[in-house]
Amino acid sequence: MFDVKYGLAEIVGKENVSDDSSAIERYARDESFTARMPPVCVVKAASAEQVQGIVKLANETKTTLVPVSSTGLHRKGDTVPSVPGSVIVDMSGMKRILNVNRQQRMVVVEPGVTYGELQAALASQGMEISIPLAPRAGKSVLSSVLDMEPRLNALHQWNFIDPLRCTEVVWGDGNRMFTGDGGMGPLDLSKQWKAEKWQVSGTGPMMLDFYRLLTGSQGTMGIVTWASLKCEVKATIRKTYLVPAGAVEDLVDFAYRVIRQRFSSDLMIMSGGYLASLLGDSASEVVALSRELPPWVALVGVAGFEILPEEKVKAQEEDISEIAQQFGLEMLPAVPGAKGDRVMSRMRDTGRKESWKATYKGAFQDIFFTTTLDKAPLYIDAMRELANEAGFPAGDIGVYLQPQNMGTSYHCEFCLPYRAADSREAEVAMKLFVKASETMSAMGAYFLRPHGMWAALQLNKDAKSAEMLKSLKGVFDPNDIMNTGKLAV
Amino acid sequence: MALSREIYGALEAIVGARNISEDSGVLETYRCAAAQSSAHYGPYDHKTPRPQAVLLPGSTEEVQGIVRICNRHSVKFKASSTFWSAMGFIDDDNAIQLDMRRMRSIEIDEKNMYAIIEPYAIGAVVQAEAMKVGLTMNMPGVGCSSSPLASSAGWVGFGPTSISMGCASENMLGSEWVLASGELIKTGSLGAGSGWFCGEGPGPSTRGVLRGFQGSTGSLGVCTRMAIRLHPWPGPTCIPSRGTVPAYKAELPDNFKCYTLCFKDWDDYAKGIALIHENDVLFLGHRQFNMFGRDLKTAMLKILTDPDGQLCDIPALVADPELKKVNDDMKIDIQVIIAGTTKRDAEYKDKALDKILELSGGWKSEFMLDKEMVDYVLMYMIRMGHKNLNYVYCGGYEGNFGLSSNLFVSARVMEEASALKRKWETETNYIAATGGDSDMGSICVIGGGGPTGWEFFTHFDSYDKPSIKGTADFFNDTQRWMLEKGLGLDMGHWNQDARHEDGHAFTQEEHDAIFSKAAQPLITAYQYKIRDIVNPKHLCGSYYRTLTPSKIGL
Amino acid sequence: MAFEEYRPMMERCSNCLGCKWIPFDKIKSQRFGENCPSIGYYNFNTYAVRGRFQLGLALLTKDAELSETVTKAIHGCTTCGACDVSCKITRYNLEPYEYNLALKAHAVEQGKLRPKQKEIIESLAKEKTMIVGKTRSSRTAWADGLGLVDMTKGKADVMFFAGCKASYDEKLQKVARASVKVLQGAGVKVGFLAGSEMCCAVRAEQMGFRDEFEKNARANIKLFADAGVKTIVTPCSDCYQAFKRRYAALGLQVQVYHVVEYIEKLIKEGALKLKTPVPLTVTYHDPCHLGRLGEPYVPWKGGERKILNQVHIWEPRRPRYNGSKGVYDAPRNVLKSIPGLKLVEMERIREYSWCCGAGGGCSETDTELSRWTASERVTEANATGAEAIATACPWCEANFRGTPDENGKTIEVFDIVELVERAL
Repeated sequence: MFDVKYGLAEIVGKENVSDDSSAIERYARDESFTARMPPVCVVKAASAEQVQGIVKLANETKTTLVPVSSTGLHRKGDTVPSVPGSVIVDMSGMKRILNVNRQQRMVVVEPGVTYGELQAALASQGMEISIPLAPRAGKSVLSSVLDMEPRLNALHQWNFIDPLRCTEVVWGDGNRMFTGDGGMGPLDLSKQWKAEKWQVSGTGPMMLDFYRLLTGSQGTMGIVTWASLKCEVKATIRKTYLVPAGAVEDLVDFAYRVIRQRFSSDLMIMSGGYLASLLGDSASEVVALSRELPPWVALVGVAGFEILPEEKVKAQEEDISEIAQQFGLEMLPAVPGAKGDRVMSRMRDTGRKESWKATYKGAFQDIFFTTTLDKAPLYIDAMRELANEAGFPAGDIGVYLQPQNMGTSYHCEFCLPYRAADSREAEVAMKLFVKASETMSAMGAYFLRPHGMWAALQLNKDAKSAEMLKSLKGVFDPNDIMNTGKLAV
Repeated sequence: MALSREIYGALEAIVGARNISEDSGVLETYRCAAAQSSAHYGPYDHKTPRPQAVLLPGSTEEVQGIVRICNRHSVKFKASSTFWSAMGFIDDDNAIQLDMRRMRSIEIDEKNMYAIIEPYAIGAVVQAEAMKVGLTMNMPGVGCSSSPLASSAGWVGFGPTSISMGCASENMLGSEWVLASGELIKTGSLGAGSGWFCGEGPGPSTRGVLRGFQGSTGSLGVCTRMAIRLHPWPGPTCIPSRGTVPAYKAELPDNFKCYTLCFKDWDDYAKGIALIHENDVLFLGHRQFNMFGRDLKTAMLKILTDPDGQLCDIPALVADPELKKVNDDMKIDIQVIIAGTTKRDAEYKDKALDKILELSGGWKSEFMLDKEMVDYVLMYMIRMGHKNLNYVYCGGYEGNFGLSSNLFVSARVMEEASALKRKWETETNYIAATGGDSDMGSICVIGGGGPTGWEFFTHFDSYDKPSIKGTADFFNDTQRWMLEKGLGLDMGHWNQDARHEDGHAFTQEEHDAIFSKAAQPLITAYQYKIRDIVNPKHLCGSYYRTLTPSKIGL
Repeated sequence: MAFEEYRPMMERCSNCLGCKWIPFDKIKSQRFGENCPSIGYYNFNTYAVRGRFQLGLALLTKDAELSETVTKAIHGCTTCGACDVSCKITRYNLEPYEYNLALKAHAVEQGKLRPKQKEIIESLAKEKTMIVGKTRSSRTAWADGLGLVDMTKGKADVMFFAGCKASYDEKLQKVARASVKVLQGAGVKVGFLAGSEMCCAVRAEQMGFRDEFEKNARANIKLFADAGVKTIVTPCSDCYQAFKRRYAALGLQVQVYHVVEYIEKLIKEGALKLKTPVPLTVTYHDPCHLGRLGEPYVPWKGGERKILNQVHIWEPRRPRYNGSKGVYDAPRNVLKSIPGLKLVEMERIREYSWCCGAGGGCSETDTELSRWTASERVTEANATGAEAIATACPWCEANFRGTPDENGKTIEVFDIVELVERAL
């Protein structure tokens, strides 16, 4: 029987195909409750040509591929194979930043580029990339963007999937193309750049929105080998303020108003305990901060850029402060336990090896979905009740509400921290995770990014979408070799 | 050949006798004259085919019933909301036309800032309803008489406010479609009944099947409802409109500022626009009045703002030396509006704009600072209710060039493009001689700036056959020039591969011959496969470009 | 203009969609944003003037025929002129109103009529009124006892022309009577044409019977001249438009006032004092033929040509007839002069007012369209919270009278003159 490792070795070189136990174990499971499934090997790809070769081989040999771009601990289950005989395609070594264009505010990155690496490269050109909340050091920008991780600045998220623009993709059928306006030119970036085409517009290029078939797909349609991303102008002044409250309901109308008036460079709502996890460097510090910090806090950022930055910041500080007062709140540079500039630094920290969420108890499970802000308190109440029923300490549950898409919807996240070494705690956390996911889904939560069990939860309620996704899978990955078993398709 | 009585009867049973017709006279009013609003196709002295019947469905269920019958009997169909452009009309002799006029509901979720709309809820009424609750929408550049649903589902949909609000595809949330197969799909958060608020997903976005850079122009089925994002409107709940027809003017509070920014050359223009893109200062930006032509814009502004003004006033106005100075001052110009959500916000943005002008060497036109002019422009630009002035000279208009989405590339070639048009204006009499440069368009085509669109307005007489033919010849010449410059497809030809001059569809073989030569033929080959899922019987015409996959070994 | 001469317009209409809506700048809501009763009721594109242009072209090219459906569509137009106003916001070389009349005339010339039209025209010929069933001899019964001067025999300051509707409709004769009493009370010597009086016939033109209109118009012009008429005052907007614009084009050279204009004049001169409060909230309905279609005729002789290759102009400057010079302020000023009266406005007013549905002969020949149009207006009036509609045209009043809105609620209807009479 043909051993796929030999075919892979011919494509990437023997030294880049590994089946030793540490490599296998690294991908056989992740930090989620996903069932263990070891791959047969891990292959390190270094170029799009190699990726294409790997995909073609996989089609010939009916081998499942699981693409991975980030390093460090994975937590959503999408990097763990669902079927035996899978091969991990590790692109974390593809670290080229192919182009930085200040004039167009664009950058083109390979899958292995991390947020820290990208920010450093862009800073010299007076730019930065929008980020999610404190991504870990090994997080691939490309995979984060494809997974539609919520960005901090909803008001610059005109397109839900910003900053993603064009991509180069190797589809599951082995064909390679560019999506977006990149698809209208030759299949060669340098030729496009010579013609002053900078892969700025991500839609299409014609009537099919190819890149929207890749976002949220968990690697089930194809493998992206570069992406062009829209950059932000780097702020010359940046400040973060805190608006404390006793109940999340007290912050809802405030957030609505601030977003509606198009103020803030970033805004989110967090439970005090979750903020403590972000700020604390140890479990004990997290516990201590939790006691000091208010139960709820809105974190409001203001920033100035090239044009009259001080005036802009001052105007927004005053305006947002007035909005806070109208709702009986105060916008403060600090609260007991937290100063604005430390919060800001932690929010934007891209260098932590481990996720900040692990600081408290070492292990955690996130439940996240998309909703509108007015419904968030209902989900929060429901989660509290479920935690009490499950015997999980409700006060430990972190809550994070992040506006997206100019405020039309919100990312709603619950973090369930637990000690992995304590089997009872882990079991309680797992049961709560499952029960809460089911309950939230039944309440109408929208699992936009349907990882793990959420895929079935979401798609079982939406037969037509499920059918469409299956059909799309049939087009782009007819032999079902791309992350087989994921997304319930 | 008329529809069989069996098919007609089945369709009539769905919509009711009052909402279906096969009278030849009625059907004639559902043919597009390709010399009138053909939309990047033509112009041609020809009409699209006559439908076999026209139907007015009143609900999604009725649409689905109709489409199922079409599938059963292989009858082609196309739906249109307002019939503004050729795209909505059928392209086959064995086809029926759906007129979506009866589906026009609007529901607004004020708190979460979106509106759920049906096809015939035109931009003007959606905006009017939204303003009642302090909101507004991105009005597509085609004007408020068009359907925002159609703009989102069917075409591109950028407009003057895209800089602050995003373009149609960016404002698209959950949606409901009757696919050409007869199946009903709800996209995004709507699919599982969570609500309309999110247009993406679940996982991969099903909406990606139904529109890309441009919508599917009705060729994959019928979009029956859609949620579109709304945006804050820091003005009165109803635009106070005064003045004598047609010179209506708005009077808005001080947090609204309206300017015409002028630059000495295209390099400065590009610099200024790029700074504007990067700095969140504008509510709206549109190079609007240059559509009348470089030589005639201020004359037209004088005429339009004078209730007694007429086109015969043009020569005297153009010859007026004082007005000529103003016109020269505004040679390279763009209209902008600032709308502060608070007094401080307005003040900051106003100062920031002044700073941008200082950095880019631009200035504000004094002529356009006159209160009557400001109020006219505010009304015009916010409601986009005078978009149909693109037909003002004689009735025919089409857009061409397009240049490049890269502002800096377009800036470099602008004068050459202008000179090419001017050559046609002076050496032939096919197109109105408006002074070469008649570019108009949004300050950017997506939210936050970056890509731009540079459409030249070419005016001709849709009654004058040589003018129609000459305009088409002019577009062939601009296409030649665009290709020589490496600028790609001329805007006047964007839909030239969507239907033939006689209004009929392209065959698959013809499309294969075209798209097999594309730089990346996979694009249209995959579109073929998608069409097989969504529209297996190919019932909705050839605007949806496809390449038979086997032609490239797919 | 002959129907075929409209071909350039048919081909220059660019399908801009403006003709289906009030001027976009004026839209305040979805509910009251549309302007055309015809497409509003029937929905097919055919019914808006854009569709009518296409239809006309198809008839000329023989791609369509005057079927029953087409005939109904052509005549199913109240000739309200709303499309004309909207079109002319952005176009300077189309005349939708005149074209609609020409299209109807074309259908009539081909013998394609609607039921009732034949008897209406026969009544005009025989009884000099288009109100079927009425006789010429009973036309001026409403004037008994008012002491009007017969101007075929004597002199008066003004010739009062009641119009057929106010003359024959028993519920509206009060309008004619009130008008006379108000004028007389202000010291005006009011005359009329007594038994010689004939219908203005403008509704014949509105239905497409151009020859019949012109014949009657010329007869009236001669009658007015023979009677030495210098000033006409009428309470009927149709008649007002007839004299002000259509008759003037045929040579009539007299001053024409709508009674509300004359009352405004009297109030300004101090000849009329309104002292008695009328505690009522009303909303004013602008009649099409007093407002946008009531612009004065401006003689013009010139030609068309193109400048700058393809810019189509007329020289010398041609009157636009875009509704800007209609009578909108006089009725409002009069209402505002009535003590205790409160005026609230509907959304569609002045040159973009919604039609009452009576015009174009539709109150007789397309009653469903006519009633629906009126009901739409009553809905709009009730939405203001007003207790009553005030208007200045007996055709409008008759159409609103007793018409339920979309919720089944009716509204009281007054002529302005009635309210003025109450305020004396």
